[in-house]
Amino acid sequence: MTSTLVIEGLRVDVAGREVLKGFDLTMRSGEVHAIMGPNGSGKSTLAHALTGHPGYQVTAGSVTIDGVELLTTTPTERARQGLLLILQQPFEIPGVRAYDLLGAAGADPSTLRARMLDEAKRIELAPELLERFVNVDLSGGERKRAEMVQLAVLRPKFAVLDEIDSGLDVDALDAVARRLRDATTEWDCGVLAITHFRRLLLELTPTMIHVVSDGRVVATGGPELAVTLERDGYEVFRGAGVPETR
Amino acid sequence: MNAFADSASTFIDNRPDAAARRRAWLLFEETGLPTTSDEVWRYAPLGDLVIDRFSVPDAPTTQPDSEFATKLRQRAGVVVRVVDGFCVSTGEMVEGLTVEIDETGDSLSGETLLQRYESDSFALLNAALAPGTTVLRVAAGVNLAQPIVVLNESSAAASFPRTQIVLGRGASATVVEYFEGGADALVVPVSEYRLEDNASLGLITYQRLDASAWHVARTTGFLARDARLHQAVVGLGAHYDRARNDAELLGAGASNELRTTFLGSGNQVHDFRTRQYHVAPRTTSTLLSKGAVADESRSVYTGLIEIEKGAKRTDARQTNHNLLLSPQAHADSVPNLDIRENDVVCAHASSVGPLDELQRWYLESRGVSREDAQRLLIQGFFYEMLSALPPELAELVESDVASVLASVDVVST
Repeated sequence: MTSTLVIEGLRVDVAGREVLKGFDLTMRSGEVHAIMGPNGSGKSTLAHALTGHPGYQVTAGSVTIDGVELLTTTPTERARQGLLLILQQPFEIPGVRAYDLLGAAGADPSTLRARMLDEAKRIELAPELLERFVNVDLSGGERKRAEMVQLAVLRPKFAVLDEIDSGLDVDALDAVARRLRDATTEWDCGVLAITHFRRLLLELTPTMIHVVSDGRVVATGGPELAVTLERDGYEVFRGAGVPETR
Repeated sequence: MNAFADSASTFIDNRPDAAARRRAWLLFEETGLPTTSDEVWRYAPLGDLVIDRFSVPDAPTTQPDSEFATKLRQRAGVVVRVVDGFCVSTGEMVEGLTVEIDETGDSLSGETLLQRYESDSFALLNAALAPGTTVLRVAAGVNLAQPIVVLNESSAAASFPRTQIVLGRGASATVVEYFEGGADALVVPVSEYRLEDNASLGLITYQRLDASAWHVARTTGFLARDARLHQAVVGLGAHYDRARNDAELLGAGASNELRTTFLGSGNQVHDFRTRQYHVAPRTTSTLLSKGAVADESRSVYTGLIEIEKGAKRTDARQTNHNLLLSPQAHADSVPNLDIRENDVVCAHASSVGPLDELQRWYLESRGVSREDAQRLLIQGFFYEMLSALPPELAELVESDVASVLASVDVVST
């Protein structure tokens, strides 16, 4: 069954300042959408607000998966509706292992260990690292790979990736991108990738690219938009205000 | 305090070293039990302590191991069993380790127990009333791969376990001191650890006494040059859980890492005190106390870092995080520094508050409920401390911690 994520008129304050100023986006499961934009345009705010980060105040708008409103629910409920955020800097959770986290998140305990091991192998993460506390004593690349194990076990309808390519070596980046691309067919995962760089997109091949400036989507287009961005920079989109194509 | 005094008197008369014990007892009688007007006891519910309820056993009660103790036994390398303070089994022989009962009444400090503990009423009781000292000695240069478990089981009204662990030069070992039982009882353990040059001891004290027990414990580490004491103290049980954990850094380069973690529920009181005494140069101490109080329970953490003149380039750090899980729960934190040397690095931090909001959000954003997220994070305080244990033993203690946590209301709102 195809699912639809709809973000409409989303406005978000951070520390009393409006950062998202009416953000709109619609995507379906199995699709890959990229959000690109300069620093401070609101990309990360979008990711955090979608998942109910306590520092982000939603003042208006709506986010739904298959018509179910998420903004009025807890972060837990949003995850259970099928939304998963992979952070740029995944938190260290001392004392908590991925196995216990995923068990508490509802993964079937009878198959969990085996699935984690399979996924670790697939993403080329040394299996003994799964026994460490979540993200503790892991390198940047290992953290992203470990987060991919979580993602593959949880199988969200939509995965939101907040600049996961920053600080990642090419091998890790390719492995992560491959896993995400496979997820789009394996369980029809929708991938919303927030990124600065084209490298991730070369491997992930997005269906749509959204350019964000000053808290809004100012342009939406196909993969060719990434080429334009790389050639001309974000400057041409600044202050555009209205999506060019839809 | 007649019933208690009478049974104590009988017990002492029947011991070979009655004279020394008698002196400790008389000093205890002279001093009496502390009161809450005494600063170091101000948080203890001493008004509830009716010592006359307790009598001192002259022999260990016979009882089978609990289910948990049985499992510990199966997974440990060496098991020393102590019942009501009486060492009833010294475990199987392992090359490089000796376990003996010592009745000399000596402290590992080089003094007698009486001299050492003359100003501590409860430790004086231990000096007078412990059946003997269970002494574990690891020979110089020996690295014991298998952990040693000291099973302390209490079923009598009052018990006074006393343990000494001595590691020879360059030796290393992991020891678990486990306490269980103690329903309606008073349990007063005194433990001492002496680490010779470059010795390394990983120590986990796991206190799982009955919720009605009075537990007043004191441990002291004596560390020679470059010795390393990594100590984890877990307090889950007892009505009143008092744990004083001291270390004396006597040799240059010695280091002490101490973590204490507790979970309070019902009307429990967890009262943790530490004293890190830096005598020699380039010594380090790192203290981390992390605990949670639920229901109407209380906790207090009082830590003293004391640095002698000449202990140059000492690095001493103390951190204390307390988590309140209910509006009726209460936590106090009292860090103290006493520094007589200039060339040192010293830091302390303490906080009382809720859990790390972002860590909790991270877990929730994976689909974990708020309650489970809280539980996982609190459980994590304990799990973090068990890293010194081999996995099969850590797993066992972890599941025991989890079972305790499962019965505690961790969400106050």
